Amino acid sequence: MAVSDIAASDIVETVPSALIVLDRNLNITSANRAFYQTFRTSSDETEGCHIYDLGNRQWDIPALRILLENVIPHRASVEGFEVEHDFPTIGRRTMLVNARKIFRPGDHDGSILLAIEDVSEERAARAESKRNWQLTQSIVDTIRDPLVVLENDMTIVTASKAFLTIFGITEAETHGRRVSELLQHQWDVPALRHLMEKVLPENKPIESFEIEDNFPGLGRRVFNLNARKISQPGNHAHRMLLVFEDITDRKQRERDSLSLTNEISHRIKNNLQVIVGLIAYEAKWTATPCVQGYKTMQARIGAIARLYDLISQSSRGRTVAVDAYLREIAKAMSASLLGNMSGIDIEVKAEPLEIDPDRAVPFGLLVNELATNAIKHAFPQGTGHVMLCVEQVGDQIELVVADDGVGMKNTDSAKSPEKRGSDYVAIFVRQLGGTMIPLKQEPTGTTVRIRLPLLLVPPGGAERVAA
Amino acid sequence: MAVVLVVEDDVFIREIAEMMIRDWGHETLSASDGDEALSFLRSARHIDALFTDIYLKNSVLGGCELAQQAIELRPKLRMLYTTGNFVTDKMRALFVEGTQFLSKPYTQHQLQDSFVALLAA
Repeated sequence: MAVSDIAASDIVETVPSALIVLDRNLNITSANRAFYQTFRTSSDETEGCHIYDLGNRQWDIPALRILLENVIPHRASVEGFEVEHDFPTIGRRTMLVNARKIFRPGDHDGSILLAIEDVSEERAARAESKRNWQLTQSIVDTIRDPLVVLENDMTIVTASKAFLTIFGITEAETHGRRVSELLQHQWDVPALRHLMEKVLPENKPIESFEIEDNFPGLGRRVFNLNARKISQPGNHAHRMLLVFEDITDRKQRERDSLSLTNEISHRIKNNLQVIVGLIAYEAKWTATPCVQGYKTMQARIGAIARLYDLISQSSRGRTVAVDAYLREIAKAMSASLLGNMSGIDIEVKAEPLEIDPDRAVPFGLLVNELATNAIKHAFPQGTGHVMLCVEQVGDQIELVVADDGVGMKNTDSAKSPEKRGSDYVAIFVRQLGGTMIPLKQEPTGTTVRIRLPLLLVPPGGAERVAA
Repeated sequence: MAVVLVVEDDVFIREIAEMMIRDWGHETLSASDGDEALSFLRSARHIDALFTDIYLKNSVLGGCELAQQAIELRPKLRMLYTTGNFVTDKMRALFVEGTQFLSKPYTQHQLQDSFVALLAA
């Protein structure tokens, strides 16, 4: 045997593909080890047999026959002929058949080298992937919000029917293109692009990115964009799901509501301004000792106006967040009564509790009265600390307004401003259905504790809506 | 003594404000909307400061628009805005740079403090 023949047979024995050699009559002259292993057969059962007689005649396929019978006479080849069959020894398999004419020494007619590759797993994976993709596509098409699935390079892999219908574009116009290139570049927004670049590498979803623009055939629209990374189990490739939520109507309702709120606020504040103006005019002609009373009255009207603003800022739909509300009250009091240079500071400690807007005003006025009293009377030296605290104690809310000042003096005179302040506090507590815990004598400072019913939100009224 | 143009569509509020301002020794000019105010601003009258409501008649941001035109006509004009509405960042962005703001309801003392700061700036 020649050296070249030995080398060739070694190669044939070591290649993983099943190989057989056929003579001009399509009888098998030899097969390699991979063939016997793949088909769980032996050389006795194989060599000398006609190719069509092998197994349960799995290769006896009219189309394959035409191809094979042309290899030797016409030097034709068989390229990637796929055979899916129930093989007697190995069950259902998909085989890829390639064949070409070869010449061996002394063989003037030539032979056929037939390579058979088992591609069952690859085909099964491809079929599974196709089924998954069809399933995904059918889910995508049932979602009413328009959405697209993007590849790693931000190009569109698929767009839902809703996306194509709503934006009036075809699948061909979307496939392989970036979202920013679509339509009249409405989505070409640098901030959005920046966020989208982080979705896959950093697994950072995009939540409610708002875009308002004119869209062909739709007019002016507002869309909320949400994006997240999606991955297929067992697959390292990731894709991005980008959903477009049309919030135009909701946005318009919000704008109408804001416009109405502004209109009402404008009227209420103007009316309060008229009252404050009337008081100012009266104060102008009043004897000096009485002017302070008018000023106090104006300050309380100002407090009601501020509370009105704070309620709208702290609102969570139909309820007012006590924690946010207290912080806003503290901020407003610091700005109006203390200023930047004050040595008095106000601290807030509050649990996330809620009250309904109807009770928010007396609650705010109660806090305002107690805190104003502390700021005005507890710190003759101009330095100190006021604490506003709200927490749930059993089935009640405890409001604590404490200071580290000089302590409370006993003032019984009905004429004193402090007495009137105490009267207002008592009225607000009764209005809220609460009770005052008697004051304890403390060496320094004053701590006022008030217990209020926990149900400061009426039953059924605690609909939490994001502000 | 300064000359202050007061722009406010509510007659009572405007007259009380003017009365307060005059009590401190200033002179006032009175306008109920942007057009009236602009006729003063386009005239040869000396005006030191503009005190305008933001929500003027049917224009939610009428005072802001007036102030923008006013500063183009008179770049050295000092301005004080007022409104009963909650002032959003968007609204604040429309304010002419270096101007002051006073929320409604304001007392005579708050208005006086604002004017002292405005005229001293």
